Amino acid sequence: MSDIGKVRVRLPSSIKPGDVVRVRSLVIHPMERIERDSKGRIVDKKYLYINRVVATYLGKTVAAFDTTQSVSENPTFVFSFRATDPGTLTIAFHDTHGGKYEGTADVKFV
Amino acid sequence: MKDHPIDRRRALATLGALGLGASGLTLSRPRRAHAQTLGQHETVDEALKRLFGARPLKDGGGIVKLDLPLIAENGAVVPVSVDVTSPMTPANYVKTIYVVADKNRIPVVFRTTLGPEAGQAAIGATIRLGETGDVRAIVEQSDGTLLAVKREVKVTVGGCGG
Repeated sequence: MSDIGKVRVRLPSSIKPGDVVRVRSLVIHPMERIERDSKGRIVDKKYLYINRVVATYLGKTVAAFDTTQSVSENPTFVFSFRATDPGTLTIAFHDTHGGKYEGTADVKFV
Repeated sequence: MKDHPIDRRRALATLGALGLGASGLTLSRPRRAHAQTLGQHETVDEALKRLFGARPLKDGGGIVKLDLPLIAENGAVVPVSVDVTSPMTPANYVKTIYVVADKNRIPVVFRTTLGPEAGQAAIGATIRLGETGDVRAIVEQSDGTLLAVKREVKVTVGGCGG
């Protein structure tokens, strides 16, 4: 649990201007499941899970995910964007307890 | 400041019109208001009705590719990917992609919002599956067309607990 919020972002090793780039991102997060008491009733509490993921590149949102508890623990998210200029790709994960975890990757051309 | 009253009147009228416009917008696009309650305990039919109302879901067979393992040995982590053939230009792009797992207690798994900047409508994630059942991908294009595809996944060990 101490690793909660660790983010990894992976881009292809070589990117050319104008390429559509596929990004893989991973966040370490428990994504709490629904709990039930001994009578099978759903425990009503504020579950800790990621409910929003936003990827920003050059100040624009390229992809956003609204997620529920049906997403796995330590989830990965894959999406693509068109790399036009060098810049930073930021992926922000927001959870239901107000946590915000960010990962970045530099988009540069070789 | 001599024409101040007219200005204020005008300003108020504009504000009123804006407010009306804004409320009209929310009415026609209820998804925003439901953002907090995307995942609910409901059946898949209820979920689809809540998200799309009576809008027709067309078969997206040739356009939408939903990739899932045939058999998921561990329902706790199932990779899913959705590829949509789309030019992704400002005039014609994929706006949202929903992934829905029919047998999950919370059927709506996630919703992706894309824009033309994405360049390609290809997304993926790891999801949970409670038991063997259909998984659907529902794609909303910029012109409002809804395309749906589904695939059955056999789940050996359920991953939703509870």
